[in-house]
Amino acid sequence: MRKTLLTAAVALCAGSAAATAQTISLVEVITSPPRTEHLRAMVAEFEAANPGVTVEITSLPWGQAFERLATMVQGGNIPDVVEMPDRWLALYANNGALVDLTPHMEQWEGTAELTDATKEFGSVIPGQTHMIPYGFYLRAMFWNKKLFEEAGLDRAPETMQEFYDYSAQIAELDGKYGYCLRGGPGATNGYIMMMLNFLGENRYFNEDGTSTLDDPAAIEGLQFIVDMYQNGLVPRDSVSWGFNEIVAGFYSGTCAMLDQDPDALIAIKERMPEDDFAVAPMPLGPGGKSFPTIGYAGWSIFEAAEDKDLAFDLVAHLSSREMNLEWSKFVGVIPIHVGAEQDPFFTGPNFEGWFTQLNDDRWEPTSMPTFLEEFGYFADVMSIQSGQEALLGQRSAEEVAGEWAAYLSDAYQKWQAAQ
Amino acid sequence: MGRLPLRRLPEVAGGTIAAVSGARAARRSGRLSVVLEPWIYLSPALVLLALVMFVPLIVGFTYAFQDIRLLQPFAGGWVGTAHFETLLFRDRIFRTALVNTAWWTFGSVALQFVFGLGLALLLNRPFLGKRFVQAVVFLPWAVPTFLSGLTFAWLLNPVIGPFPHWLFALGILEEPYSILGNPSLAMWGPIIANVWFGIPFFAITLLAALQAIPGEMYESAAIDGATPWQAFVNVTLPYIAPMIAITVLLRTIWISNFADLIIVMTNGGPANATQILPSYIFTTAYRRLDFGYASAVAMVLLLLLVLYAVLLHRLRKTFRSTA
Repeated sequence: MRKTLLTAAVALCAGSAAATAQTISLVEVITSPPRTEHLRAMVAEFEAANPGVTVEITSLPWGQAFERLATMVQGGNIPDVVEMPDRWLALYANNGALVDLTPHMEQWEGTAELTDATKEFGSVIPGQTHMIPYGFYLRAMFWNKKLFEEAGLDRAPETMQEFYDYSAQIAELDGKYGYCLRGGPGATNGYIMMMLNFLGENRYFNEDGTSTLDDPAAIEGLQFIVDMYQNGLVPRDSVSWGFNEIVAGFYSGTCAMLDQDPDALIAIKERMPEDDFAVAPMPLGPGGKSFPTIGYAGWSIFEAAEDKDLAFDLVAHLSSREMNLEWSKFVGVIPIHVGAEQDPFFTGPNFEGWFTQLNDDRWEPTSMPTFLEEFGYFADVMSIQSGQEALLGQRSAEEVAGEWAAYLSDAYQKWQAAQ
Repeated sequence: MGRLPLRRLPEVAGGTIAAVSGARAARRSGRLSVVLEPWIYLSPALVLLALVMFVPLIVGFTYAFQDIRLLQPFAGGWVGTAHFETLLFRDRIFRTALVNTAWWTFGSVALQFVFGLGLALLLNRPFLGKRFVQAVVFLPWAVPTFLSGLTFAWLLNPVIGPFPHWLFALGILEEPYSILGNPSLAMWGPIIANVWFGIPFFAITLLAALQAIPGEMYESAAIDGATPWQAFVNVTLPYIAPMIAITVLLRTIWISNFADLIIVMTNGGPANATQILPSYIFTTAYRRLDFGYASAVAMVLLLLLVLYAVLLHRLRKTFRSTA
């Protein structure tokens, strides 16, 4: 009797498990209400094509996403599919939390259509792939044509020297500044770009595993920004500006130049007539080269996922050519498929700056060393705090660059030892 | 006192030992159950308290002596007092944060108290539309801190907000810029937001205390010829002093633990000018992923707050006994 009851109970459990097994949980981390709606529509098509499967979307606000997701994973409440920004990929992949997608991708017909960069950036451990990126964020220089005209200028700066001189010329206008400096959250990219432009190489580490950031040329790059700040070419408040403040500074006409990703285009287009601004490639360093930072985010699957094949089907659906093209346009990223930039949406003059950087040898998009677990702390805390100290003149550029180099050298050597 | 002879009794009168000890055992078990009974009734609450308060506290305390990383919590093992040594002797951000915490807490509490008391005194007299005004005045307390932090940050931004232009027009700033970007003024931003947010708390509690003062006290003071100031100092203040002490104690502890506004408005910047211990704990735990070190900082904060509470309690006692 007891046995039959037990079997019945087990059968019941198994039955209910089978019924709920077709639920995929997905966590999005860069959230806004219209974005979630767009994602829901994409997911609805997947559900329609796979009867019986439901996808549950959990939306985390970006500002708290890192600690929320980390706490979820730590507490065993692990999603199947997750929107993974480049910054966190190494941390989760190195801790064995993510599925290696390589075998799945070998089976998937969509793999052949992905650009090389897409396949390359999804891998932080050689030979393995832990994410399929959904698009790229690449920095380019927005410039305010009207303010330039007022200052007697008619084109965007092409070199760092011009960038400095033009900024100085615009800053002479009353209450106007040359450049929307980002000294608060997200300041890292700006420092790194300037340092590499002066260094003239897309390289973060030397052969011996030490960081290049304390190279005298790189220090000169950091000093360049410090000089811009201390000589009043950028707004005084910009020492603590984040994304919203720099974008507001640009569209309100307070500062005439802004380095940003395509996603800022959406906010700026809404508030500025399209003829009043343009997007140019980033200025070239003294060596004739420039290194705009490239960032990305994509889809990853957690090892804890029950049905990994089904989870991959969802990721493959989201990464398909049609889905990804619409998503890229909507989110403001450069799409991941070969030839996608031929779409009329991307061929307009607004996108010229970005595609010049992608197609001309003088520009080399650079991916920051996000494969280091310690990079998140460097980018979110260390580079911002000590960068502000340098801007405010509390510490010298040399001292700050030395601190960064020491931290990254340690992290890199630890990473090398683990390979 | 009555217990003493009873205890001696068996030694003095040997023959009655058995009888007496039997009676004593009965009495003791009776006494024991009398002593234990209330604790038995209290036990569910006590167990709950221990579970939700002391267990996390002790766990947090043990974390402070271990190397704990968020994704690999126990791979690092015990490190002894290493965290505390780094903290006290090598961590310059910790020292900055400690000074800033004091500044943030006492600046906020003092201003909240002064304005809160003023508001309570104003609301303590009858006037037309008092109920409506009371409701409106208490509104800031109900606004989520995240929202008020963001609002104040934008009010202080010269591109969008009016504050910098007003301060410039008044001659306080040499140009209209955001004080949040100036390391020597940045702390005022979150303090202003916190004062706006916290005034209602003092106003509500002090108003309740004011309304409990019997009217005859003021009448007799008036008969004795007291000026309004003398009535305030000699009647009002002594009556509300206990309430002041308890609210100031509470608010000090809350505010020194309260990093929301700072995280939203400045995130501890620029260059750590607004970094306080709770925001530093948050950054260490969730950005550097170092839970062990964050726990060590939290223990220091806890210790300081306990010391403060004990000190204030002592002060209250001496104040009361001399009064």
